Amino acid sequence: MSYLTPTTLDAALGALSGRDTEAPVSVIAGGTDWFPAQGERAYNGTLLDVTRVEGMRGVSAVGTGWRIGGATTWSDILHADLPPAFDGLKLAAREVGSVQIQNAGTVAGNICNASPAADGVPPLLSLDAEVELTSTRGVRRLVLAEFITGVRKTARAADEIVTALYIPALSAGARGGFTKIGGRKYLVISVAMVGAVLTLSGGRIATARITVGSASPVALRMGDLENALVGADLAEALERVTPERLAALSPISDIRGSAEFRGEAVVEAIRRTLTQIMKGQAHG
Amino acid sequence: MSYTISLTVNGDRRDVTFEDARVTLLDLLRERLALPGTKKGCDRGQCGACTVLVDGRRINSCLTLAVTLDGADVTTIEGLARGDVLHPVQASFVEHDGFQCGYCTPGQIMSAVGLIAEGDVGTDPERIREGMSGNLCRCAAYHGITEAVLDAARRMTDDKTRKSA
Ligand SMILES: Cc1cc2nc3c(=O)[nH]c(=O)nc-3n(C[C@H](O)[C@H](O)[C@H](O)COP(=O)(O)OP(=O)(O)OC[C@H]3O[C@@H](n4cnc5c(N)ncnc54)[C@H](O)[C@@H]3O)c2cc1C
Ligand code: FES
Ligand code: FES
Repeated sequence: MSYLTPTTLDAALGALSGRDTEAPVSVIAGGTDWFPAQGERAYNGTLLDVTRVEGMRGVSAVGTGWRIGGATTWSDILHADLPPAFDGLKLAAREVGSVQIQNAGTVAGNICNASPAADGVPPLLSLDAEVELTSTRGVRRLVLAEFITGVRKTARAADEIVTALYIPALSAGARGGFTKIGGRKYLVISVAMVGAVLTLSGGRIATARITVGSASPVALRMGDLENALVGADLAEALERVTPERLAALSPISDIRGSAEFRGEAVVEAIRRTLTQIMKGQAHG
Repeated sequence: MSYTISLTVNGDRRDVTFEDARVTLLDLLRERLALPGTKKGCDRGQCGACTVLVDGRRINSCLTLAVTLDGADVTTIEGLARGDVLHPVQASFVEHDGFQCGYCTPGQIMSAVGLIAEGDVGTDPERIREGMSGNLCRCAAYHGITEAVLDAARRMTDDKTRKSA
């Protein structure tokens, strides 16, 4: 195995450009998904560590929105000064493994790994996140829902690096929330999780973006529910969270829970998230 | 291909050359630098026995390749005491019976040192339990561990206040 740790984006992209499958190059950031996935096999390709590439780390305001650099860790998110719409992403950051994992693991790594149980994905989908992909061929941007195409599948080409995520302008009063339901309190893989961003007007929901993870191959926005929630106060909102409005989900039965338990867990997780946000209890 | 990195371990500068880029920080510490205090539990990020501080932040050394650490400052359990004087967190673990067999203890202590330095949890026992959740204990000495961290956090915060007063 060989190891590269470029400090410029040009050098990093050059290392990925024109490689064939005979000499694979794996991008790594925190390595917290990559390492355990290797198991006992000895990796013989090249590892391209992107954490020292200039400009890849940290969160900044750009134009009317926000940029999350492609090597930004979960701890960086937790300690960044961000508006309340990011409270859901911050709560998710606190749930990713342990602090040891959060200090190494990155937001980009979480979405590139594309696990159905990735905690970062529901809050990012509710923030309408876009993914910036860069290669020697150029730069393109995809909305997150188009970037993640299936279980552990993304639209990233082998020569592309996720250089940043962008969060478009948020309305001033937007508030985020997040709920993860797992088998025990900490260090769990989710049974179901919900990320939401709401704007409120006089105690009623003006706009809602609700995303459910772990209950379908790729986390999904609940469009029917989002529409149904408009105009509701908290009590009405809780009533409107019905299984019919979550029909797009396809919860599976596995070692962490039956499909039925997952379905109930989703309803409960959405209700908790709405309560969290509408009572102002979401804190990162 | 061989790799040479230069890092600081417990205050000493070490230049290390290795042939295989797959060496983890954990194996480097235990097998090359004669620092076996850092333990290997699961070797996959789940137990925290291998916790060390890199540039002041706690990480799992089993998930960190040594080659990524050129220029880094690493602190292990061997680097905490000052001669015969235990670090306040070490002393607190002894006082509060924060262990039984002791296997997870170096990782627990390094994690606690990192947690207190982060300064986010203060002396709230629930936040301390959350902050320590990456460190498992097969002997379930959790009660003593939480008491030890709580007490150390209190003492170290008092010390700081006294010094700055
Ligand atoms: C003990 C343990 C507990 C965990 N618990 C959770 C949990 O509760 N919730 C959760 O969601 N996850 C969890 N994880 C998974 C993991 O920590 C997260 O998904 C983390 O965000 C991954 O980030 P990373 O930087 O470590 O990714 P890496 O392992 O470095 O990379 C993951 C994948 O993304 C690719 N990649 C990374 N960065 C880029 C980039 N900039 N451009 C292109 N490709 C890139 C890599 O090629 C690789 O395929 C856990 C992991 C462990 C070991
Ligand atoms: S040995 Fe590293 S976390 Fe278990
Ligand atoms: S004291 Fe035995 S594992 Fe924790």
